[in-house]
Amino acid sequence: MTARLASAPASAPARARRRRHIATAYLFLAPSAIPLAAFVLYPMFGAARNSLFQWNLISDPVWVGLGNYGELFTDSATLRAFGNTVLYIVGTVPLVFIGGLMLALALNRAIKGRNLLRGIYFLPVITSWIAVAIVWRWLLNPSVGVVNNVLATIGIEGPGWWTDPQWSLPSIILASAWKDLGFVMVLLLAGLQAIPQEIREAAMLDGANAWRRLRSVTLPLLSPSIFFVVIISLINGFQVFDQVYAMTGGGPAGSSDVVVLRIYTLAFRYGEAGMASALSMLLFAIVLAITLIQIKGEKRWVTYA
Amino acid sequence: MRSLSRIGIGIVASALALTACATEPASEGSPNGSTDSADPVTITYSNFISDNGNEDNLATIIEAFNNEYPYITVEVETLPYADYFTTLQIDVAAGTGADVFDIEYANYPAFQSLGLLAPLEGVDTSVYRGDIAEAYSTNGTMHALPTSFSAVVMYYNATLFDEAGIAYPDGTWTWDEVYAAAETLTDADAGVWGLYQPISFYEYYKALAQAGGQFLNADGTAVAFNSPEGVAAAEWLIRKSGDVMPTEAQGAGTPDFDSGLWADGKLGMWVTGIWNFGVAADSSFDWDIVVEPGKARAASAVFSNAVAVAASSEHKEAAQLFAEFLTSSQTMVDVRLGSGWELPAISNDAQLAAYLDQTSPANRQAVFDSLNGIALPPVIKDGQAQMQDIISEQLGEAAAGRITVDQALSNAEAAINSLLG
Amino acid sequence: MRSRLLTRGLLVALLILGALAMVFPFVWTLITSLTSGAGLSATPSLIPEDPSLDAYFTLFGTTNFGRAVLNSVGLAVIITFLQVATSALAAYGFARFDFPGKRVMFAVYLATMMIPIQVLIVPLFTQMRDMGLINSYWGVILPSTASAFGVFLLRQAIATVPREFDEAATIDGAGRVRIFTTIVLPLIKPALATFAVFGFMSSWNSFLWPLIVLRADGLKTLPVALASLQGQHATQWDVLMAGSVISILPMLALYVFAQKYVVQGATGSGLK
Repeated sequence: MTARLASAPASAPARARRRRHIATAYLFLAPSAIPLAAFVLYPMFGAARNSLFQWNLISDPVWVGLGNYGELFTDSATLRAFGNTVLYIVGTVPLVFIGGLMLALALNRAIKGRNLLRGIYFLPVITSWIAVAIVWRWLLNPSVGVVNNVLATIGIEGPGWWTDPQWSLPSIILASAWKDLGFVMVLLLAGLQAIPQEIREAAMLDGANAWRRLRSVTLPLLSPSIFFVVIISLINGFQVFDQVYAMTGGGPAGSSDVVVLRIYTLAFRYGEAGMASALSMLLFAIVLAITLIQIKGEKRWVTYA
Repeated sequence: MRSLSRIGIGIVASALALTACATEPASEGSPNGSTDSADPVTITYSNFISDNGNEDNLATIIEAFNNEYPYITVEVETLPYADYFTTLQIDVAAGTGADVFDIEYANYPAFQSLGLLAPLEGVDTSVYRGDIAEAYSTNGTMHALPTSFSAVVMYYNATLFDEAGIAYPDGTWTWDEVYAAAETLTDADAGVWGLYQPISFYEYYKALAQAGGQFLNADGTAVAFNSPEGVAAAEWLIRKSGDVMPTEAQGAGTPDFDSGLWADGKLGMWVTGIWNFGVAADSSFDWDIVVEPGKARAASAVFSNAVAVAASSEHKEAAQLFAEFLTSSQTMVDVRLGSGWELPAISNDAQLAAYLDQTSPANRQAVFDSLNGIALPPVIKDGQAQMQDIISEQLGEAAAGRITVDQALSNAEAAINSLLG
Repeated sequence: MRSRLLTRGLLVALLILGALAMVFPFVWTLITSLTSGAGLSATPSLIPEDPSLDAYFTLFGTTNFGRAVLNSVGLAVIITFLQVATSALAAYGFARFDFPGKRVMFAVYLATMMIPIQVLIVPLFTQMRDMGLINSYWGVILPSTASAFGVFLLRQAIATVPREFDEAATIDGAGRVRIFTTIVLPLIKPALATFAVFGFMSSWNSFLWPLIVLRADGLKTLPVALASLQGQHATQWDVLMAGSVISILPMLALYVFAQKYVVQGATGSGLK
């Protein structure tokens, strides 16, 4: 109130200055605010609207209300894509997380050439997913691929990898783990480096052995980073598309179909843009839920640390 | 794997009187004689028919077209069959489609009813085979022109049969005889396999017809394949895998696996389309073809491709000229017959007779014999692609042993019925 | 002490073994690309007996791959520039101005980070169609003009620049734009570099949206061209690997010369 009273008798030039200040601020924001509104927010409402219609993108949309959502839960191919996405996450996240954590712990020590090693482990992260997928299709080629050739020399007949419905998803998981390992490693390394050296030294002086130091000092202090890594992995996992598209196309026999590929197929192959939009909304709801968990959890973890 | 991915079309069986002597070729179709006065135009043509080996043949036809219509430039985009229809679907939705594009019989009704195909007025339909042309006509107007037709037959490696000391297959064989021969030919240690037949929608509706079953019920309101015949057809496709046919772990399912195995002389029998004549022509062993084996009856898949002019095209006239040339010109007939590409869908049987005189394979009569028992693909107006995918996926799951044949058919039945409902 | 040395040696050995496993696919890609006719019947040998660049000639001679490289470079440069520019401007706006609705707007910016492109492909497709931007570079550029992540990142960087610098400049008579360009921007160079690398990498590797919006062959970007190469040359592994090498090289070069920013930028790109 006092502030308002104080500013009330402000002179005309002051008010003009204030108006100018606000206008300038909006000018600085406009170049990003307009595209974000036009190409993120507006289509988001479009997705919500489309999800209530049956529409092949060509003829007039037909109102079906929540019918598309109902159909999602009875359509076996969509449910399978959903299940595969969850399996993909269950397969990739622990693998990448444990591998990344071990790498981060190892490469946080004073080892000669650790920068080079970090650099190498990070290399796949910068590579395009399509290139990685094609390379792994080649490595995991059932008949002439190098992996099955190596397995053959030790007397194991390798599986059909991406040509076999049983192995298509594991093939994608393998390639994804290889690609994402370095990413998790870097995030956790950053977390480790934020742990004050004195705390670890104190634990050492207390005579705690390496395992105990890890369990009762390092990991708890690293927990915000760990939490963050898991959240990011979950979000990225639900959005998986590129590697599936390029490695298996969702096949064979739909055995590696995932949610985003299903959205693409429904909209652009089957002419079911309404159902595709309903599935998009569901995906959005999941990402939103995970993000909210992160926001809530972050507060708790931060105070913990 | 673009083989067997063609959409079938009915051709009345006795269409060909191939004993007829060769007569004069039909005069070259030049719909409107003036070719020099027009302004230059560029049209685009998006196709899958020339992918994987026939690019040069298409180029020859276009060159001839350019000689006749120097003012029309044709830009060609060739896509693999596997990507083609998704790409086309996005392009027509986006309005970025080519002026002229390939379609198939099975998606003709959907494209036509959405108004995406320009009506082709003034086409001389007498140059096309009646039944095929009929398939692309709506309310008496052509909306696409048939490019070719083809059939699926059974190739066999005669050298392998000789080595095994067993008789060559003939058109009267049934599944059981094929299977017995395949068992004899298979030598897993040497990597030699008796038979290769893909496990897909295209094989299934045909095997179903061979077994005497129906895909859809009489009025097309529900599926009818979950029947003893349907089970027999599915089991026929699936049981060969790992036994007389390589499994996925042995490489089946990788691109061009079947043609590679054939070229290496390690495949006894191969169920595939006549579009692979060119691929097989280089074989270092003796080979020939026969009509596919049946069970209750003989039934063969016959396919037809067509080209349409986009309703949104800005150069409809030039596009139609090209579409007509591509489907009826003498150059096209010569190129197709000479190269062993798919057969031109022309009405002049005398010209097709020249096809029979060629060898490699010698028994080309089998191509026409297969027209005596045609298995028609089921066509539904909404959800054709979805229906095809459902069948292929469920069979694939069953072939991998992840579900039983009965489960596969019930799943497919439920899913497709909900599309129809 | 000896056992500690031993475990240490074991650790290093394991790390090196792991590193080899990380590098091997790259090496194998290169080897295959140099083995003419690779993959038709046999696995290439580790040391190509007769290395040749045939696959590269096939790649650039018979496909539009060269054009795809140019498309990708051009689009990545333009998009990176736009994102850095629009993000820096907005970041400055949020960090240094006071205006009605500021908190709400910033929250909305952050909220857009939660909407992945995967959710938007259908409505964005019809929107671009109505704007006539399918099959146009603009169809890729416009939706990538702004990045909420960039605004967030750069705002934090600007927050570390003492306000006294601005005030001193104001007294000297500098306007907002001059303060922004001559004082703030130079001081947040590391953050700008990190975000530029992030923008470049996101654009360079983006696949789903360019796949949908760039229809014509001559417009395709590298990942899209690589994916369709796989459809057309499915068994010519030498050509496919040559294509992979070409699409990996530019990022690799960037990585070698700007490792720090690439690591920071790439880590950011996982957080989009």
